[in-house]
Amino acid sequence: MSTDIGQSSSPKRIAINVGAGFVPGINAAVMGAALAAGKLGWELVGIRDGFDGLLHPERYPDGGLLSLGPRLIDNLDPAGAGVLGQSSRVDPFHVRTVDADGMVEEVDMSDALLQRLKVEEIDALISVFGGQGLSILYKLQRKGLNAVCIPRAIENDVAATLVSFGFNSALSFTIEMLDKARQSAQSARKIAVVEVLGAQAGWLALQAGIAACADAVLIPEIPCDLQALAASLKQRVTGRRPYGLVVVAEGAKLVETAQARADKPAEHALKASLSPLATGEASEHVIQRSGQAAETVANRLQLLIAEETFPLVLGPWTRGGVATAVDRQLGLAYGAGAIRALNAGNSGVMVAFVPPDIKFVPLAQAINKVRTVPADSEFIQTARSLGICLGREQS
Amino acid sequence: MSQSNKPAAPTGRVLNIQRYCSHDGPGIRTNVFLKGCSLRCKWCGNPESIRKNPELSYDPRTCTGKKACGLCLQPPFPDGAFYVVEGEDDKVRVNWDLAGDCDDATVALCPTGALSMFGKTMTVDEVLDEVEKDSSFYRNSGGGMTLSGGECLLQPDFSAALLAGAHERGFNTAIETACNVPWSFVEKVLPHVDTVLHDHKLTIPERHKKWTGVGNERILANFKKAYETFPDIDFIARTPLIPGVNADEEHIRAVLAFIRPHKNVIDYELLPYHRFGLGKYEHLGKVYELDDYKTPSDEVVQRLQAIIDEAFGRIAEAAGAR
Repeated sequence: MSTDIGQSSSPKRIAINVGAGFVPGINAAVMGAALAAGKLGWELVGIRDGFDGLLHPERYPDGGLLSLGPRLIDNLDPAGAGVLGQSSRVDPFHVRTVDADGMVEEVDMSDALLQRLKVEEIDALISVFGGQGLSILYKLQRKGLNAVCIPRAIENDVAATLVSFGFNSALSFTIEMLDKARQSAQSARKIAVVEVLGAQAGWLALQAGIAACADAVLIPEIPCDLQALAASLKQRVTGRRPYGLVVVAEGAKLVETAQARADKPAEHALKASLSPLATGEASEHVIQRSGQAAETVANRLQLLIAEETFPLVLGPWTRGGVATAVDRQLGLAYGAGAIRALNAGNSGVMVAFVPPDIKFVPLAQAINKVRTVPADSEFIQTARSLGICLGREQS
Repeated sequence: MSQSNKPAAPTGRVLNIQRYCSHDGPGIRTNVFLKGCSLRCKWCGNPESIRKNPELSYDPRTCTGKKACGLCLQPPFPDGAFYVVEGEDDKVRVNWDLAGDCDDATVALCPTGALSMFGKTMTVDEVLDEVEKDSSFYRNSGGGMTLSGGECLLQPDFSAALLAGAHERGFNTAIETACNVPWSFVEKVLPHVDTVLHDHKLTIPERHKKWTGVGNERILANFKKAYETFPDIDFIARTPLIPGVNADEEHIRAVLAFIRPHKNVIDYELLPYHRFGLGKYEHLGKVYELDDYKTPSDEVVQRLQAIIDEAFGRIAEAAGAR
């Protein structure tokens, strides 16, 4: 269905959909695209529940497509996220179906999807996707779809953009929870070890940890030496200040010496209970399962210090709620930017915030990368200046 | 008849052949796992068996990384299928959405074996020749070959040929099945089977659909018809016991009410849920949906087992043994 989407006088019909998983304020991105499209005289329609509205129109009284006209947009809450619904799976290449014989199988419905877009006379698709969604959109684009991606990622790990939609809302919530955890630790005179999202990138842990004045922040990019962490906490947690706050990204790594491992058979048992893949090279114990990082660190830390520790896991709580002011602005800017990209003849691109500009980055440059915290990051330097232990002595 | 007119021996998609098994039928057995399943049980311990076609597997523990190797980052490996993230760890990562075009020939280029394929096409004789290697164990123990999966009934011609061939070679035969297939598949295979190990996963159709992808109406109809059509086959019912899903008395009693009227259902076994398949999900780039579920406690298993023992009249035997 590849057509020249570039500048032309003919009105366009553009579709927008959102990927799996809740992100606060998706309505803002939809509004941004709808308002910008309306200004060009284009029509924007929303696909319900990921791609389901297109692939299974029979399930919807309105045929699975929602006209995003001025009346609906005027009454939309930009801080909300529900206008297009949700889908737990957004992969037209592997659509789970039950065939006529009652047998479950995954079917490639990408051709049917492209055909449906053609039948609906849709010229291009804007997808509010992150992570795996980028690869799926890239595959669809290689099959001829005019596609633009709006990056969304709670963990801010999408490459080629400074910030993904949804991150700031998650950050604000995480800071609020860390403040409460610290107050709890203060009253209990213990050390709170709080696990936050961040399987591959530590932005959420690092930025929230700085804002909450944590004693230590462990991120996947810096494997943690527990002895160094314990030494740092011994200095910070004193009789005058008998509590502490340690923030752990869910993908944090621990560096262990061979002697330490040999001395702790109980910890071997813990490791054995994890996946065989949870043990990396170079004596790094990679905590890959959500909900395990805080408990692992809290238990091991307690063996090395006098104070008691207690684990807390924020996990999926982080994904809910309403959008912050930053995400509302970003959503509107990304939505409008996606329409500008199409109007300028761009396809197969991701809208990216590269301060001070909104830019259009080829999808091929955004996939297969993870935006991790670089060693020379300003946030790393800030944390160290504030005396926050990052799990390893500064080299 | 000339050689060229002879019908081709059926081939099938085989996941694995596992020797020295003792829990899936009488005696010492060789389990032949076939690819493809018609259910999507959230607790599946063999995720590599679900898809019918061979699929890529990646074990990062054996990857030596970009600096030492990096072969998969260039042709003939599919563009974008493998990548490395900047940082100290230069092990290859897989973009599972772009790696679907990998095949036996490409993964064979991986020098460390970090990349491999789950599943291969085999002939009946190739499988049976492998099974025959332990024939002396079968003779001494009353064992033989068990077809498992996946769902072995999804390849009815291949399964029937394998089982018939096993009988010809004098092996006992068994299958493990959930029976979510058309009856025509069942009746093609069962004449060649000595023992059927069949799953009763959940009782209520809506809950069966929620946890496995489809309701159980057709499955139960197949079981009932199989009990009645094949009275000489030993049937053993089984339940994978998962706390919070089906590890409750109501389910066990419902299964007993279903099977007890049929004298050729000789036993009902409980298979306590385990998490052994977790690592395989990661090798396949799949998400394990039951991450938070735990194995049932001994107390729960014993309590439910006692109900089964009572229904099969084994309480007296157990008491006598004590």
